[in-house]
Amino acid sequence: MSLDTHHGDRGDDVRADVGEVAAVADRVRGAIESVIEGKPEVLRVALTVLLAEGHLLVEDVPGVGKTMLAKALARAVDCSVQRIQFTPDLLPSDITGVSVYHQERREFEFNPGPVFANIVVGDEINRASPKTQAALLECMAERQVSVDGRTLALERPFMVVATQNPSDMEGTYTLPEAQRDRFMARVSVGYPSPQAELDMIDSHSAGSPLEDLAPVTGAAQLRDLSDRVREVHVAPGVRRYIVDLVGATRVAPELRLGASPRATLHLVRAARAHAALEGRHYVVPDDVQALAVPVLAHRLLLHPQARMEHLSPEQIVARAVARLPVPGPR
Amino acid sequence: MPLSTLVCLLSALPLLSALVHGGGWWFPAAVLMCAAAAVSALYRLVGRSSLPVPFLQLLAVTLLMAPLFASHVAPLGLLPSGAVLEHVAELLFQGAVTIDRGLPPVPATAGVKLLIALLFTLFLLSSDFLAVTARCPGMVGGPLLLLAAIPLFVGDGGLSWLPVAVCVLGFLQLLAVDMWLRGREWGMRVPDREGGRFLGAAYRAGWAGLVSGAALLLALAVPLAVPSLRSDVLHSMGQGTYTGRSEDAITTTHPLVSMRRELMSSHDRTVLTYRTEAENPGYLRRHVLNEFDGENWTMLPLDASADTRVAGELPPPAGQEPAPEGRTVSTRISLDSDTPSTEFLPLPYWARSVEISGEWYVDPQSLMVFTTEAPPTGLSFTVEALDPRVSAEDLAGSGAPRALRGDHLSLPGGLDPQVRTLTDAVTANADSDYARALALQKFFTSGEFSYSLAPPAVPQGSDPLLHFLTVDKVGYCQQFAGAMAVMARQAGIPARVAVGYTAGERLNDGSWKVTTGDAHAWPELYFEGAGWVRFEPTPAGSSGQGSASAPEYTADGRAPEVPDEPGEEASGSPGEPSPEESGRESPPEEDRPSSPSQESERPEEEPTDPAAASDADTGPGTGAGMPRWLPVSGALAAVLLLAAAPALVRAALRRSRTAALPGPAGTGAHTAWRELHDTCLDLGILWSAAESPRAVAERLVQVRDPKGAPLPEEAREALRRLAAAEEEARYAPAAPGGEGLRADLCTAVAALEAASPAGVRLRARLLPRSLLVRRPGAVPSPA
Repeated sequence: MSLDTHHGDRGDDVRADVGEVAAVADRVRGAIESVIEGKPEVLRVALTVLLAEGHLLVEDVPGVGKTMLAKALARAVDCSVQRIQFTPDLLPSDITGVSVYHQERREFEFNPGPVFANIVVGDEINRASPKTQAALLECMAERQVSVDGRTLALERPFMVVATQNPSDMEGTYTLPEAQRDRFMARVSVGYPSPQAELDMIDSHSAGSPLEDLAPVTGAAQLRDLSDRVREVHVAPGVRRYIVDLVGATRVAPELRLGASPRATLHLVRAARAHAALEGRHYVVPDDVQALAVPVLAHRLLLHPQARMEHLSPEQIVARAVARLPVPGPR
Repeated sequence: MPLSTLVCLLSALPLLSALVHGGGWWFPAAVLMCAAAAVSALYRLVGRSSLPVPFLQLLAVTLLMAPLFASHVAPLGLLPSGAVLEHVAELLFQGAVTIDRGLPPVPATAGVKLLIALLFTLFLLSSDFLAVTARCPGMVGGPLLLLAAIPLFVGDGGLSWLPVAVCVLGFLQLLAVDMWLRGREWGMRVPDREGGRFLGAAYRAGWAGLVSGAALLLALAVPLAVPSLRSDVLHSMGQGTYTGRSEDAITTTHPLVSMRRELMSSHDRTVLTYRTEAENPGYLRRHVLNEFDGENWTMLPLDASADTRVAGELPPPAGQEPAPEGRTVSTRISLDSDTPSTEFLPLPYWARSVEISGEWYVDPQSLMVFTTEAPPTGLSFTVEALDPRVSAEDLAGSGAPRALRGDHLSLPGGLDPQVRTLTDAVTANADSDYARALALQKFFTSGEFSYSLAPPAVPQGSDPLLHFLTVDKVGYCQQFAGAMAVMARQAGIPARVAVGYTAGERLNDGSWKVTTGDAHAWPELYFEGAGWVRFEPTPAGSSGQGSASAPEYTADGRAPEVPDEPGEEASGSPGEPSPEESGRESPPEEDRPSSPSQESERPEEEPTDPAAASDADTGPGTGAGMPRWLPVSGALAAVLLLAAAPALVRAALRRSRTAALPGPAGTGAHTAWRELHDTCLDLGILWSAAESPRAVAERLVQVRDPKGAPLPEEAREALRRLAAAEEEARYAPAAPGGEGLRADLCTAVAALEAASPAGVRLRARLLPRSLLVRRPGAVPSPA
């Protein structure tokens, strides 16, 4: 109740703020759409994750534009961007950085790895060994790096955009559950529509559109926007709805592993960002419903039998959404 | 829970208040019930198994018997002993006798108190078992219904609403306590939000009211609509039956009670028909009440033995030994098959012989003919009776009663002296018994007394007889006959009360028909030489007992408007019941269907007058108290009302919701949304609980009418606005105002209805499904 009055007092304030969030997000969207066409849903999830300060996992077959999406997102924001190409022989220190002995000063000096950036594009993340993948765990969850007993904080915003091929492709390791759980959402780019593909031919034959992409926002503004997203109101009924939805995955008989409490937090944050993207200062169940599959599905493990029945986690999440009553009047 | 059961049964005590008078009758019952309930409550606090509870309760009740009922014979005033047991048994017997012989309300003697206390204790034990041990408190309704049925069976005035209401409240209290306890046991649903509990309670109360209202309506309407059982089935259930205490004694409903029941019955039913040789048949007697206990006239015990068995000839009437010679008249009496069977035969007085099958006995003193077996219905028998031919001269010249056996002059010691004073005043100028009797009859029929089947209640504590004689002077034949008999005894004339029927009315074929409206009571006075002679103090005619007639030999004292011949008397215009009488519950019995005979007897009289004809046509109908079409049309109206009830409720709901818009911030949107939800439900448009308002609106705007045309643009916009308002009201920190909601709602609802096929619209109107579904969340979504 106290939370409500708190928001109620500054309702207009928040309302004005989210208007700006939506405006900036629209600019970013416009910029990315000049590179990736015909994928509004994917873009929306990507922007949601960006505003919610989460990490994004882009999964699809090779060549549909995963890396292009990640790079376009990184370029649209004027901030430090690092790219890591994951390979089977990549070492953890290749990600976090390494301390080298400085001969002149006679001490160890820390050389920061590529993870010290605002946006880290991890390409083909499931081609690295699990050990190397695990090096990302701490920085993704806690936004810090511990090397040689020292802990270094990472600068905000910090977003990992990782791409991966489906796990049944050659030369891939399955991403550990703990790692997957740290991604706020997973999207599949999917094949473009014929028209989008035609347009793509035109735009790409003229040159690389990525090169022409100019940043439309900066790190500082992004930090500010993220702060405002945290102010978006989530009614008690909607909170309950989120908890119920996540809880439904834990009791689904087809699932070996349901969504974690971290998933609940991610879903709330993502829903706030989604609402802000639409210029709304409060979350509606539609936000949650739109994000349930991207946020929850990649964390779930199917029972072998369910897999044999060709069920997918996405179907199970969608079914839970279709069954759960939305919160009613107060 | 035991205490709640106790409260429930205590609240049922007033149900019997109409049957017992005198204070304190409830006290022993309350004490015993409290004791039993306390035993139950205490034992259940400590004990594990509830098996011994009834036994402990019985023990406690037995222990309490001595101080409550037999403190003067018990050692130390409270210990149980053999003497106590005997005393209690004696009290029980006395109580049973009091109840048997008395008319309700019975005096609250110790025996009656004991009986009531035991009855209630028994009910408490069974209720305690049902409610606490078996955990079915709803079943306690059974014993309560039984209790409520007692006054209905015994008395004839029905139940007043107050005791019933108290009893019902007690029962509801029991159910509520049970729900509360169960809730505590299993855990209550925590209300989702503040005020939710209150709202929920109001909601539930509303539903309970709706459901019980419908149940009440059904309970009233269905019996009207369903063809009823044969009335004799119901009536014979209500009749007094044999107690089987001894083979020779029989107990029945008190004759006056059954007489009153007949008089008050809603339709005038034929009791019997008879053919007689007599020109001018007299009354038919069934019972003779020869004892007055200060309040009621009762029968003396009857003797059914081999000596008194009827074998053709009957003993000579009292005072007529040896049997007088004279013209005997044969009468063939057929009891109607719809009439409840009777243990006493209605016979003309001085019956000399009865030809009837079965075992029948006669009481030599009163010439009552009765049986101890269950008599068949639809009995027919022939009776030979003497035509009494009593003349005024005979009576005037009769001397002191010599040949009369038994005591017919005694009056209880407690009789109010005012009765004596009044009797003396009335008979002051009379010099003979006959003149005194005439004076008494005239006293009652001179117009000072008025006739009513529903006399005002006698105030608590006052003597009913004196009250009738001196205060309200309103009563029916029972009061008139009883009072005249008492006053006659006071004046030194042997007197008793006879109960039976008047001569009835003559039918076209020469036979006579006696209906329930002819039930009657009258005094019989004894004159040496003439025997028992009938007098008629009850006002006759339209403002009295319709078919009553004063005998010829009392011509001096007879009311001038009373004609001699019953058939002729009935031909007098029955007249409309007086306003105050028609306002009462009881049907005016003087309105008996007498018109057909009138028409047939005198067809030449006003044959062309349409008003009279229609009067005669409708006469029998209105005479039954309720026109024949009334139940049918009433049932029809009730059925129509029932059928229309959902539509009416739904329309009222929509109206009230629309009227409530825009309403305070937030609630207006909810109200509008709820109405939209109900409309969709009624129209059969899918509404999933898992859909948010926005999703619902997006689906609704896709609705197309049967021709495939989409909704009008403004309706689609209205739907979206409604959804947006509801969404904001539900999920935003600050609720929105409700501007434009009403217009949007009307637009949207009208568009949705217009888009539905006509059949669906009709069904939505008449059988709105939304009334059955509790909340938007209750619609099951496809799995």
